[in-house]
Amino acid sequence: MSFITDKQTLDDLNIFGKRGKQSIYSIFNRTCSRGGAEQLEQMFRFPLSDTDAINRRSSIIRYFQQRKQVFPFKNDQFEAIEQYLSNTDGRSQLTHESNTLERKFKTLIGSDTEYKLLAKGVASLVEIVHGLKKLTTEWLQDASAAPYIADLRIMQQIISSEAWKPVHEKKPGSRLSFEDNTVLDKIFRYLEIDHVRTLLYHLYTMDVYISVAQVATERKFVFPEAIDRELHSIHLENVYHPQLEKAIGNTLSITPDSNVVFLTGANMAGKSTFMKSLGIALFLAHMGFPVAADRMRFSVRDGMFTTINLSDNLNMGYSHFYAEVLRVKKVAEHLNANHNIFVIFDELFRGTNVKDAYEATVAITAAFARKTHCMFIVSTHIMEAGDTLKPQYGNINFVYLPTRMEQHKPVYTYRLEKGITEDRHGMVIINNEGIIDILKQGLNNN
Amino acid sequence: MAFIADNQTLEDLNIRGRYKSNSLYSIFNRTKTNGGGQLLDHMFQHPLTDEKEINRRSAIFQYFQEKAWEFPVDMDEFGIMENYLLSGGGQSWASNALQVARRRGLKAMGLMQEYNLFNTGFYTAIRLLKDWHIFFTRLQKEDAHHPLGKEMEAFQKVYSHQKLSWLLQPVTEGRLSGWQVAGYDHLLRNVLHDDMKALLQLMYFIDLCIAVSDVARDKKFVYAEALPRPQRVIDIKDCRHPGLDKAIGNDLLLDQNSNMLFLTGANMAGKSTFMKSFGVAVYMAHMGFPVAAASMRFSVKDGIYSSINVPDNLDMGLSHFYAEVLRVKNVAEEVASKKDLLVIFDELFKGTNVKDAYDATLAVSEAFSAYRNCAFIISTHIIEVGTVLMEKCNNLQFSYLPTIMDGQAPRYTYRMQQGITSDRHGMMIIENEKILDIIG
Repeated sequence: MSFITDKQTLDDLNIFGKRGKQSIYSIFNRTCSRGGAEQLEQMFRFPLSDTDAINRRSSIIRYFQQRKQVFPFKNDQFEAIEQYLSNTDGRSQLTHESNTLERKFKTLIGSDTEYKLLAKGVASLVEIVHGLKKLTTEWLQDASAAPYIADLRIMQQIISSEAWKPVHEKKPGSRLSFEDNTVLDKIFRYLEIDHVRTLLYHLYTMDVYISVAQVATERKFVFPEAIDRELHSIHLENVYHPQLEKAIGNTLSITPDSNVVFLTGANMAGKSTFMKSLGIALFLAHMGFPVAADRMRFSVRDGMFTTINLSDNLNMGYSHFYAEVLRVKKVAEHLNANHNIFVIFDELFRGTNVKDAYEATVAITAAFARKTHCMFIVSTHIMEAGDTLKPQYGNINFVYLPTRMEQHKPVYTYRLEKGITEDRHGMVIINNEGIIDILKQGLNNN
Repeated sequence: MAFIADNQTLEDLNIRGRYKSNSLYSIFNRTKTNGGGQLLDHMFQHPLTDEKEINRRSAIFQYFQEKAWEFPVDMDEFGIMENYLLSGGGQSWASNALQVARRRGLKAMGLMQEYNLFNTGFYTAIRLLKDWHIFFTRLQKEDAHHPLGKEMEAFQKVYSHQKLSWLLQPVTEGRLSGWQVAGYDHLLRNVLHDDMKALLQLMYFIDLCIAVSDVARDKKFVYAEALPRPQRVIDIKDCRHPGLDKAIGNDLLLDQNSNMLFLTGANMAGKSTFMKSFGVAVYMAHMGFPVAAASMRFSVKDGIYSSINVPDNLDMGLSHFYAEVLRVKNVAEEVASKKDLLVIFDELFKGTNVKDAYDATLAVSEAFSAYRNCAFIISTHIIEVGTVLMEKCNNLQFSYLPTIMDGQAPRYTYRMQQGITSDRHGMMIIENEKILDIIG
């Protein structure tokens, strides 16, 4: 089963982002080949929910990081191959009979573009196979390559099989005659096409691993460790938002003893950013990717749901409050199905009156608190809800992001502290803008 | 001074916009002539700020509504006349005579096109000018009290022109000599060019009046009575949304004793629609146009400010809240500069948390309501604010749009009731969705 998430979550965490805008995907999108970029997108679309698979992938990436490996092939080789392979029409296969005078004349005047493309594709594949042969021999002797060995073996098996013998007989870079191309074309495009595809798949994946390793090194990201699922825990040290420069990290542990994080803080204090940082770290961790933190250990989850930038769906006739309720309902259904999920709710129930918001927050948070195998981050401005919940549930972790006032100007530390805060700055902003003063003075002038 | 309504307000109320469906403009956009359309444009862009002018204009519309005239001439022919009359201007008699000679010459060579074109224009114009003369004369004779005053000057000027006495004589096509045609043509297109333009303006205006009064008759709109500024009152009975077919109307009276309406109700209950209807009616009334209501009287205002659809698909958070704060600040400055305004705030401060929104709505509503010369409508889902305001201020009226629960499905009456809603559907919705049961 794959990791469950949805569009709202992807949007909240800015995983793919809007077209042309920076996103989490674009941080990692540094692959050489186009196939690699597609593979990367697939990984983002389908995070893993299997502890071993996650650890395996992250150790492969780590292996390449330690080797300071550079991707050994070039993009134009892959472009040539893809173009060559995309022509699957049987009639385009080279045969010995087609080596006619007409073809030779065409080659002479340079109008045989189809043949040229084909020859370029074949030559690129030959080069790659030779390069790969050298790499696999070298890496298979390297003990630290252990996590990647399965992939290497598959690739080695393919290229060293009997059918590929003619490929090894050619020297990479040397001119291939029409007869050579006829033989190789038959192998690549007809006899061994499935193996060629498999090979490319692994090469693109290697491209992804290597480029992610480079990103990890450059940005000093760390590799999370997936721990026993049954521990239902996440330990994060100095987790920060990967898209921010000079981001400030925070340390947080979520265990069955404190599986609900009750977050308070003023508007600009960094609540949403902190919640997004958590969500992004957990998302990347489930891909086996490095995360923006000093250290991370986590129990693999079945899915994640966030509600940070919920927009009114007025076209469908929903009010903001109803949209929130439907969102909670969706989460509730997963809880009911006993999935181990990670849930983020920013500013729960803001689309209603104070009393309803209070009651709903208490009721929902309490219900969440009883699900100790799941993890919840809930932010709110209704600190009274916290006061009510505190004596009843020992497993709610109350934290806040503080605001210090320095001469009527709020200053934010962005560092979590224990407890509940009453900081609110809506009125400070209104007073800073002098709205009430403007109105009072206007009256006095009359 | 011009009537103030900024872009946000015009967007909120969906006033202008020729190509937008359902805009107020598109409801009235029934003029037949281009010139009439331009006049309509102009009126939409420049509402009036003088009660006498407003009442005069609405009296004209009303007069046309009673008479139920149709546009007195055929539209295609009107176009031909328009083209003909506007195609001249400033030419000397000699050059005009040369044109006549040229046409005759071409005709003699068998090239009839230009000659025919001219003839059609010339004779159509003469015929239509006669028709219009009948129309205007009837208007003046039949009704000594017709409200058109200075507009009719153009008519008087053209038709009483001594050189034009031939115009009202019977003219048969082809019976005029070449000299006569040349002379008349020169007169109509060159000598009287400006007068003819003024006359066309009058015709456009007639077109507009017919269009507007037709809309009023079809949709059962009424004309508002404009009162002098110091009376400071807006009183609308059965105020409906002009764009909705089966709209339900509501009454509202805002005056100096009770200058702020505090409106509550569930999201779908019709708060925004009522606020828009009210804003639209006030805007229309300042144009002297008919309004969707049973009756309306109002003292002239300096402008309208509304904040209904502040774009909320942006990242909510502070950016949205801050945008709202800046909007309120902008309005506060206008209000404090002693203008008489109508201010409409829908769901004030919905971009922030409940608590901040509570504090902010309370403080801002209280401060605004002290301006008795202005009229305010404020809506919110934070009903707690209303309770406090009720104790603090004596110049507020409280209404709500109720939600009736038929079993589990909410039903809306769209009729305002006195008081603050006690509909608290929050927990009820959560219970209906059985969320707590689902979580287990």
